[in-house]
Amino acid sequence: MLTKLALTGIKSRLKDYIVLFSGLIVSAATFYMFMTLATNKNFLGNNSMLSANNTMFIFGFGAVLLGIITLVYLIYANSFLMNMRQRDYGMFMMLGAKSRKIAQLIFVETFSIGMIATLVGSAIGVGLSQVVAKLLVRQLGLTLHNFNAFHLPAMLITLIFFGVLFVLSAFWNSAKLVKTPVMKLLHQASQPSRMQVKPVVLILQALLGLALLAVGYWSMASIKLLNLIAIPLALVTIVLGSYFTFNATFIWLISLLKRNSKFALKGLRNFTLSQLNFRIHDYTRMLAMISILFALALGAITVGLGFQNEISDLAAATAPYDLIVYHQDQQVKTAVAQLDLKSKAVYHYKVVDGATYYSVTELQQQPLYYVDYGKSTGAEMVMPTIKRYAAQDYLKQGSAARYDAARWLATKSEQSTEINVKFVSAAKFAALTAPTQHLQLIRVHDFLKDSKKIGQIESAQAKAAPQFKSVLANSKYVGYGVYKSLFSGMTFMGFFLGISFLAMLASCLMFKILSGAYSDVRRYEMLNKMGTRRGTLKHSVAIEIGVLYALPGVLGVCHVLFGLQLFKMLMINPYQGIWLPFAIFICLYIVYYLLTTWLYRGIVIPATEIEK
Amino acid sequence: MANDVVTVNNLVKTYGKTNEKQYTALKDVSFAVENGEFVGIMGASGSGKTTLLNILSTLDKPTSGEVRINNRDVTKLKGNQMADFRSKQVGFIFQDFNLLENLTAYENIALPLSLQNIAPRKIKPLVNQIAQRLSIESVLDHYPTELSGGQKQRVAAARALVHQPAILFGDEPTGALDSNSARELLETMDSLNHEDQVSILLVTHDPFSASYCQRILFIKDGKIGQELKRNGRPRAEFYQEILNSLGTFVD
Ligand SMILES: Nc1ncnc2c1ncn2[C@@H]1O[C@H](COP(=O)(O)OP(=O)(O)O)[C@@H](O)[C@H]1O
Ligand SMILES: [Mg+2]
Repeated sequence: MLTKLALTGIKSRLKDYIVLFSGLIVSAATFYMFMTLATNKNFLGNNSMLSANNTMFIFGFGAVLLGIITLVYLIYANSFLMNMRQRDYGMFMMLGAKSRKIAQLIFVETFSIGMIATLVGSAIGVGLSQVVAKLLVRQLGLTLHNFNAFHLPAMLITLIFFGVLFVLSAFWNSAKLVKTPVMKLLHQASQPSRMQVKPVVLILQALLGLALLAVGYWSMASIKLLNLIAIPLALVTIVLGSYFTFNATFIWLISLLKRNSKFALKGLRNFTLSQLNFRIHDYTRMLAMISILFALALGAITVGLGFQNEISDLAAATAPYDLIVYHQDQQVKTAVAQLDLKSKAVYHYKVVDGATYYSVTELQQQPLYYVDYGKSTGAEMVMPTIKRYAAQDYLKQGSAARYDAARWLATKSEQSTEINVKFVSAAKFAALTAPTQHLQLIRVHDFLKDSKKIGQIESAQAKAAPQFKSVLANSKYVGYGVYKSLFSGMTFMGFFLGISFLAMLASCLMFKILSGAYSDVRRYEMLNKMGTRRGTLKHSVAIEIGVLYALPGVLGVCHVLFGLQLFKMLMINPYQGIWLPFAIFICLYIVYYLLTTWLYRGIVIPATEIEK
Repeated sequence: MANDVVTVNNLVKTYGKTNEKQYTALKDVSFAVENGEFVGIMGASGSGKTTLLNILSTLDKPTSGEVRINNRDVTKLKGNQMADFRSKQVGFIFQDFNLLENLTAYENIALPLSLQNIAPRKIKPLVNQIAQRLSIESVLDHYPTELSGGQKQRVAAARALVHQPAILFGDEPTGALDSNSARELLETMDSLNHEDQVSILLVTHDPFSASYCQRILFIKDGKIGQELKRNGRPRAEFYQEILNSLGTFVD
């Protein structure tokens, strides 16, 4: 009988259950997806610029963070479930159900909802991993090695982690229900009491918060000066700074707005402000945490995509010449003619006893280009520039210019090119008895645009003249491919990390807000009775939730903008193309916001036109 | 007729869709409230009092019948018109959960004015005026949790009246009060009615509350039965008559 009652309860709250269920499924799927990466050592090792162990460490760290978020998330989801159900269960108790029986019911309900969601979530996680990997590979032109959507250890970790958490929350719920007096279950309206905060304390807190944030931002920007201490310093100050900023600045701001009667006494503004005031107190810790997670997630995506941008910049920087033509036939000639050439230089050589001879005069007539790495220090990467040697640079034996020339003009790939490439005077060169051959050093305007054609020309040469296969294997084009796959891995991981974090933190916020919705129902009902237009109520909800979403978002964006300073060590320009990850991220975040607003409205806004 | 603030004609309310189990809560209810009158509707719990008030205040739609308030057929209103009608023409006091706990008494009272987009500088004098009338000036800065039950209901009354509605509806406003606070609130309503000509429609199951009215309509099983008039008699006498007729009405 009771079970039947419990089931009817579920039916009447179908929409809320769907929300809860899909939330849990998303979290399990995200967790699983993340774990497929974090536990796949082969994948991490093959796709990162860092060693497999380092990457494992980063992902281990990410996994712990994700674990903590998941925990917080489940606590909120669980309180959402309890808020939703406690009245029903209170009612059953009123009707005389034994509390042991109720405890059993809520235990079974919590645990089975949790486990079903976990199983479905993991299954979806497998599919999603596959889809996401495919999408990223296609959209970003990434290449991934050793990535499997189904990874048994990840599956086990997910099941065990969620299983343990759900058993714990099931125990927690049943213990709580049995202990709470029935009347309290029936009428649990959280009553906001007066917030007694002295303005002086608030101002001090606000200043402290801002000062801490400033220190944190400064330390990230001055990593050169502070070295490794910068990161823990930034972490501590930013966490505390976010907390104080939320705790003081916004409360102060809201009370300021409330006191301004010209602003506050219009429409529902005063009500909305009061809701926020009440909420923000309750949410401070949560919002501070979310702003930081937001920053981590957005940072991960930004850095990931940043690496993607760097591929072209770095590949362009690996070599001054985009293509070397060793072998000329009609096919190669026509193909070269189709390139968007920037410069083309022909050099003549003779091969005697396995050594390649060039005339210094020819080099002096048309000196080679080289890559100048500038004063790139360890703390900051600078974009290298292409420069050209001067004629007198070739005079000295063993000069950098000759060394460079030997690298580009070698016709065989061997350990020491200096030995096999020799530079002699024009007279000596003429005296050598061997046929004169020549090669072309070619630069194009846009390597990325022409890279496909360049690759084809290189393979055509290797086919027609296999003796050049070994030098061709050292080409810029080949190097570009290697870079690309390395950075692909980083991009993929950044994306993955970012999206998983976002999904979790936004769901956390969503459930936190929705679980408060049940205590708001009465307030909105009253406003409706007083004759508040539906549109006005909706607007108030949109603003209230909008502020709760925007605050951590804005602070998180600030964190990222400053945090990217840290990546100047690894990247040339971490801020390049920054709009893309921001746009992706903000779109996803807005989707969460809209979803939350929609669900919240469904819970609190009464239907005005009751049809007969 | 022209002097009636509320006119109800042949009102029927049936709950439940045609293919579901149906329950008719109001069966052919008709009555009128004159401008400046203090009318009570009395009936046992479940007799349809709240249903009636909800329809009068456009919170619910009747199945059939006509409701005119200030000579306007409110059953024809749609969407925002209904909300606007409530916010302008109706003041409401319920048994409980009258006030928004996250607003101070002052802010609660000011809310109906803000909702009508009255200029903020005009709000303060209006709120102070009604607060003075209801003797709650000293608690304006308090939150509802810091007020006694009686104070809460007086704040609710202030909020219901601050925008000078055509009529004040009360749905068992004394239901959650101790007898002293209840008496105080009823006396306040009585004086509002006498001195400020506020029209009041009070719905209650409590004879004591009803004895403050000038006229009482008895409702039973969704139908209006007997009517009692006070005709300027002392309250105690009227109270006795209510008790007596309650006995006969129940039979
Ligand atoms: N939304 C509803 N759906 C179905 N029946 C209802 C609904 N609201 C009230 N009723 C029924 O209508 C009758 C009158 O209810 P109500 O007007 O609340 O009575 P009162 O306020 O006099 O106690 C009751 O029998 C109640 O069960
Ligand atoms: Mg009622």
